[in-house]
Amino acid sequence: MIDLAIFLSLLALGYGFGRHAEKKHYKSIIKREKKLRGLPAIAAKTPTMLSMPGESHLVIGSVVVSVDYFKRFISVLRNLVGGRVTSYESLIDRARREAVLRMKAQAKDMGADLIFNTKFETASIYQGRGNQVGSVEVLAYGTAIIPARQG
Amino acid sequence: MEYSNPEIPEGINSSKAHPLKEFLWLTSGVLASIFVLILALVVFVDVLTSYIPFSMEKEIPFPEIEAGSEQGPLPEYLQSLADRIVESQDLPDEMKITIHYLDDETVNAFATLGGHVFFFRGLLEKLPNENALTMLMAHEIAHVKHRHPIKSLGRGLVAGLALSVISTTAGDAIIGNFLGEAGYLTILKYSREMELEADETAIKAVNSIYGHLGGADDLFKILKAEAGSLEPPEFFSTHPLTDDRIAEIDSYVDASQKDKTTPLPDKFQEWITEASPQSATE
Repeated sequence: MIDLAIFLSLLALGYGFGRHAEKKHYKSIIKREKKLRGLPAIAAKTPTMLSMPGESHLVIGSVVVSVDYFKRFISVLRNLVGGRVTSYESLIDRARREAVLRMKAQAKDMGADLIFNTKFETASIYQGRGNQVGSVEVLAYGTAIIPARQG
Repeated sequence: MEYSNPEIPEGINSSKAHPLKEFLWLTSGVLASIFVLILALVVFVDVLTSYIPFSMEKEIPFPEIEAGSEQGPLPEYLQSLADRIVESQDLPDEMKITIHYLDDETVNAFATLGGHVFFFRGLLEKLPNENALTMLMAHEIAHVKHRHPIKSLGRGLVAGLALSVISTTAGDAIIGNFLGEAGYLTILKYSREMELEADETAIKAVNSIYGHLGGADDLFKILKAEAGSLEPPEFFSTHPLTDDRIAEIDSYVDASQKDKTTPLPDKFQEWITEASPQSATE
């Protein structure tokens, strides 16, 4: 019975904090994405005609997110029955968008107007450690183009 | 090539469904499947174990328990009482009941494979009359009669194996434990059913020996006092609630029978002391 109580409080804790953090994070992501819309990050390997390079620079944005207990519980049950692991989807979605935003923020600081050759890397931090709550890193990187100063 | 920068709508890469909804569906679905699985295994095991002859059960080795001497007035008295109960419960000839006495404080008694029934000093010395003792012994012998020890062993092995597979598949110690516990609670439900079946048979036996059930509930009153406030909720327990078991007996007893109890032999407490070399030296 004590086991059950610990388990339920972990779940409640995970749900409460996880849900709150997720809502807050999405709000902030959407707000910052609107602000940085003017700075496109594209996947094309070569720069488009939009921008005449003066200078190009590597920009990176990296995020590490950890899963909460509630999400983990849902994913464990999902492992038994199969199907979309929706609890992880939103987590990874947030991490990916946050990484792009950080990359864009760095590019903006440099005065860039375009990022091309945008790529993603992910790394599982707790890989192979079965009983740990997992964390994942999402890394976004690309080449920022800083236009040549006029005149 | 035209380049545009559209605003991407939300909810493509993540689900908009409320997580609690998924939680409820998944949890209830998985728990229900575990429940059905255990139920199927229990039924399966019960059918199969009923084909194991009692003679084979006697040959299954079980951990050696250091029991007291089989000679002396106490073991002889207990055995003679057991023989009366065996007769009234109509046990098949091959089901031989062997009574063992354990010199230990534990307030308990149990029946195990091969018709061996064990009584602890802790419970025997608390019994106020022979009716309670007969109720206790008839309950344990009823377990043997209904083949409960071998069924429990089979359920424990098969359901336990299934649950350990499920809980290790989960890959998380606490969640695996939770799923295992849920299955275990299902097994407990069948354990309580066994106790009720044994109680029912025991009540009939006590009634046929004494002609009434007065005093039989004293056994459960002792167990209740012993558990005190520690008695777990029925859902988490191997046994039915003691109050319910007392009420079951009391429903057959009318006021005039309450005091018609048969006393234990005069020297019963002396016999216990005699058969308990450990406590004598204390």
